[in-house]
Amino acid sequence: MGEIDLQSRDGRAEALRRMLTIRAFDSEAGDRFADGEIPGFVHLYIGEEAVGVGTCAALESDDYIASTHRGHGHCIAKGLDPKYMMAELYGKAEGYCNGKGGSMHIADVDAGMLGANGIVGAGPPLATGAALSIDYQDRDQVAVGFLGDGAVAQGQVHEAINLAATWDLPAIFVVENNQYGEGTPVEKQHNVDNLSDTAQAHDIPGLTVDGMDVTAVAEAVGEARARARAGDGPTLVEAETYRYRGHYEGDEEPYRDEAEIERWKDRDPIESFRDRLIDRGELTAEEFDEMEAEIEAEIQAAVEYAQEADEPTPDEAYDDMFAETPPEIERFATVARTDGGER
Amino acid sequence: MTRVGLIGNPAAGRDIRRLTGGASVVDNYAKRRVAECVLAGLTAVTEPPNVQIMPDRAGIADHARDESPDEVDASILEIPLEGTAADTRRAAARFREDGVAAVVVLGGDGTTRDVACEIGDVPVVAVSTGTNNVVPSAVDGTVAGVAAALVATGAVPEADATARHGMIEARAETATGERRLSALAAAELSSRSFVGTRALLDPGDLRGGVVSRAHPGDVGLAAVAGAVEAVAPDDPGGVALRLSDPAEASRTVRAVLAPGVTATVGIESIERLEWDEAVRFDVPDGVVGADGERELELTDTTVELRVVPDGPRLVDVDATLAAGADAGALERTDPLPTTED
Repeated sequence: MGEIDLQSRDGRAEALRRMLTIRAFDSEAGDRFADGEIPGFVHLYIGEEAVGVGTCAALESDDYIASTHRGHGHCIAKGLDPKYMMAELYGKAEGYCNGKGGSMHIADVDAGMLGANGIVGAGPPLATGAALSIDYQDRDQVAVGFLGDGAVAQGQVHEAINLAATWDLPAIFVVENNQYGEGTPVEKQHNVDNLSDTAQAHDIPGLTVDGMDVTAVAEAVGEARARARAGDGPTLVEAETYRYRGHYEGDEEPYRDEAEIERWKDRDPIESFRDRLIDRGELTAEEFDEMEAEIEAEIQAAVEYAQEADEPTPDEAYDDMFAETPPEIERFATVARTDGGER
Repeated sequence: MTRVGLIGNPAAGRDIRRLTGGASVVDNYAKRRVAECVLAGLTAVTEPPNVQIMPDRAGIADHARDESPDEVDASILEIPLEGTAADTRRAAARFREDGVAAVVVLGGDGTTRDVACEIGDVPVVAVSTGTNNVVPSAVDGTVAGVAAALVATGAVPEADATARHGMIEARAETATGERRLSALAAAELSSRSFVGTRALLDPGDLRGGVVSRAHPGDVGLAAVAGAVEAVAPDDPGGVALRLSDPAEASRTVRAVLAPGVTATVGIESIERLEWDEAVRFDVPDGVVGADGERELELTDTTVELRVVPDGPRLVDVDATLAAGADAGALERTDPLPTTED
């Protein structure tokens, strides 16, 4: 069934709400970054909302996901709170990683979110590891590794898929093909037309779905989850999607033109799903506007919370690095607490 | 110079039935080879036709042109490329306008349907590379090429080689206007709310529909109908089916609903339809499918389905080759080129 049941009216409204929340969060994150309030880099998920939400809709709440550098959408899709996410982007102590991770390192292990990741293609090895732990402890979850089209050419991705395939682990690899690895078009990076074709090399099923349609992604991941739980091993799902913003905020995007972006916007995952719900008679344009306004207010509240939250103190610099702090790190931490890290 | 069109759909054969059923993957490497075989087949006749090929981003057309036999002048059709089904429709329309003598289609029912909507009276040799294939034949590409050459050059008269296939037209009124859909072999009703991954997945979702042909050797709704009453592809009209829970149905059949999926299906009613005879289905919440793929989401409406006699002229490959041999078109009377050691 999954966490969000798209066969139910409430489930469809929730899927729409989460996609809208992602868009509002990332629009605001882009603006706040441009204003110099958010340190580091941000990579926005706008346009790709149906992939994260469709995937997490098909998962159970205790399933694992391992994310990418473009991870805000995965966090919200998995049910993380935008307030603590925004605090993390702002580098504040109330953030998910106490402000020391930032945009590319949001994690909430209790919620099954094993972390965004600054390393391209580092999610699949985490997912395979999580799937191994599930298998080893005989639990009934699955682990999803998100990766981008560029990551499909990375070695550790295939090491991860190979191991999961060889050991029939309950893993699902979701390729978000947003058509560009940074600024390089997908057809100039790969010799296969469909990235799902790479599944054949690992003797697992691979399929390509419309990543602009939340119902398509949820159905594909739902079938992949059933296969994983039946003990039949991993599946590779390629979702064809598009990011409306640059690779990173500030990207001048010399590699594409406005007409191409507009063509993809014609199939916008939120607008198209909204229209389908309106056609079904279960949503009105006014109700959609209300939902959008509520979410906008929630994101504004998250920004205010993040702006006003405290920064971590220098003497916490060595905390939260290991489950059990090694003696060397403990020594650094003691020094930092003694002299405030001045020496 | 006589010309043949070639359409190879790079997207066919990659859907979720590889996960849920027993469908096999047809990769683009294989499709390039099939396209190459079609061109080799064209050389079976003394004066092979030229060939024009739909462009694609998977290298199918480029490979076919580059590997074409010396006797075949192969070129790539100049059309804008979207990477969607629109490419297939656009290529088919161009082939019709340009007066090609036959077209070879590499794809499944979906690809063949897209061609059928635009190709008019041009004879179509449909070669199966997709999943849910009722209409295209699982024939070797080389043999399909021979059949195309025999028809295109007039060695076998079109009337002897082709049969007109039916089409199914679906029409529904919705709050936002009229919606239409065309299907080649079957228009199905699914109780799922959304198109999702397109493929009709669960036999329990299938509520019925209309088929333009029926045979137990088909796949999908045409197989369900065919388990009770066979309808040849060129027979007039079709069959309307209403399905129900097998436990409550007056009649149940076993049928192949998809590759790897043999199911018990309950039939509430089955009736023969004349050309243009309309049947209506209430759709409280569901999707109308075409040839095994969910296409049209509907709620609280009625869909009207009818079989119409304006489908493609499909080439019967076996019959064409037999007729070609009978007519002597495969015999060579000119001296063979001498080989030098």
